Amino acid sequence: MLSGLTTGSIYALVALGIVLVYKATGTINFAHGDQLMIAGFLAYTLHVMLGLPYLVAMLGAVIGSFLLGALAERIGFRAVLRSNLINVVLATLGLSFVLKGVARLTWGGISDYLSFPPLVSPDPIMIGDLILLPQQLVVTAGALVVMGLFALFFRLTTIGRAMQATADNPKAARLVGIRVEHIHMLAFAVGAAVAGAGATLMAPLTLLYPDIGFTLFIKGFAAAVLGGLTSLPGALVGGLAIGIVEALAAGYIHSSFLEVSAFIAIMLTLVLRPRGLMGGPPPRRA
Amino acid sequence: MLEVEHLAVSYGPTRILEDVSFHVPRGRVVALLGGNGSGKTTVLNALTGMVRPRGGAIRFGGQDCAGWRPDRILRLGLAQVPQGREVFASMSVAENLELGAYTRRDREGVRRDTERALALFPRLREKARRRAGTLSGGEQQMLAVARALMSGPRLLLMDEPSVGLAPNVVGDMVAAIRALREEGLTILLVEQNVGVAAAVADSAHVLQAGRIVHSGPASGLLDDEEVLRSYLG
Ligand SMILES: Nc1ncnc2c1ncn2[C@@H]1O[C@H](COP(=O)(O)OP(=O)(O)OP(=O)(O)O)[C@@H](O)[C@H]1O
Ligand SMILES: [Mg+2]
Repeated sequence: MLSGLTTGSIYALVALGIVLVYKATGTINFAHGDQLMIAGFLAYTLHVMLGLPYLVAMLGAVIGSFLLGALAERIGFRAVLRSNLINVVLATLGLSFVLKGVARLTWGGISDYLSFPPLVSPDPIMIGDLILLPQQLVVTAGALVVMGLFALFFRLTTIGRAMQATADNPKAARLVGIRVEHIHMLAFAVGAAVAGAGATLMAPLTLLYPDIGFTLFIKGFAAAVLGGLTSLPGALVGGLAIGIVEALAAGYIHSSFLEVSAFIAIMLTLVLRPRGLMGGPPPRRA
Repeated sequence: MLEVEHLAVSYGPTRILEDVSFHVPRGRVVALLGGNGSGKTTVLNALTGMVRPRGGAIRFGGQDCAGWRPDRILRLGLAQVPQGREVFASMSVAENLELGAYTRRDREGVRRDTERALALFPRLREKARRRAGTLSGGEQQMLAVARALMSGPRLLLMDEPSVGLAPNVVGDMVAAIRALREEGLTILLVEQNVGVAAAVADSAHVLQAGRIVHSGPASGLLDDEEVLRSYLG
């Protein structure tokens, strides 16, 4: 249950990036998980290979991921965002393969699975009957802090406001002088930066490998769909719900549910409540 | 103040505007009339950079701004009230107005213009905290006009501001346009309601099949049987 909360908070971060890009551009970024994977490897390089402190590595991964996200939008998506949805989806899938290839080429020589050193002592703390792993607490708290910072950025800055406006009505956004192409780029970049923070938080708990991106994408996508795909608070609730359900299903039913529960969640949501728990109408594409 | 010469616009292979020329003198209200699909909105979109003209010149205050980005044209002083209102539905009335001033940095001027817009449409003041999507059609239209005014334009382009409104709300809109004109604002008004155009405009141009087919004083419009019948239905 508690471990479910921890993985759930990571899923929520992944979902946040997916929802952000969806709201701003009306498309699903299928390369989102792979951007997260690359950021994880970046953090590994900075922290393990270069010996930089963990927080510096995290900052590096966030900034690196931000720039990569912006670059991907500029060269990979801007030209196709105006054309039909299939082309955009193909472009994000293409980027996904490119990023996996880059990861294999760059880091593949070291080992297939890279392990990240623990942040804090791995010994559990007992509070009454509760067994808490400090590592999980740190990760959950970290994820919540990242989400809080993100919410502040969205609410309080002019750029955050412009992103909201573009998601609400892209045509009106252009009419009031918002440069919608910049907002698209920023959405990809900020989504990737949040993924970068998620990757660095998650790395000490899991192993890093080039295919981790897809697994996380599916979990984050499930969380986003459950939350309604257009709601940022929905992404948080959806992420936590998927994490907890997954942990319970694996614990009480069968461990194989760990992998399929996300798919089941997506299907159930689409059948029973297509707008998710907190979703609004779908965004109009610019 | 605005001079449009030989404006041409195509969507893909389809020519929408063939050759459109007209002037809007400073301080005047000029009406642009025409039937459904005659290209009125396309003219406004070309003026504000929402679509790229294929040819022709657009001079505003002496600047040739044809093909400029929408945000640059807005800064130059051309603001559009779009057809269908297009308010930010999930945001409050106050936030919509703030976004109208997105291109401006002069806080004092923005504060003054907010006051001016709310004085023009007092109902927006009462509903400042309401989400724009929950407003009535007339209130959304007022908000769309107020939002365009927040950019501090020298020329306001209005696209069918009276469409779908109850008769008494149309009256409010006519009064608001007259008040803006009194303040000295220049306005290009697209209308299908000839009565509204005749009530507020100085002169009128009629668009048909991508060309201006008739130009003249607006006061004569309602009496001009031929224009009414042949161009406006
Ligand atoms: N984005 C677009 N792509 C292709 N064709 C378009 C597009 N926008 C408008 N058109 C076409 O251009 C023509 C003129 O449209 P426009 O909206 O300028 O007319 P209008 O005079 O404003 O009509 P209405 O009174 O119905 O608003 C129409 O035939 C329309 O179908
Ligand atoms: Mg129109």
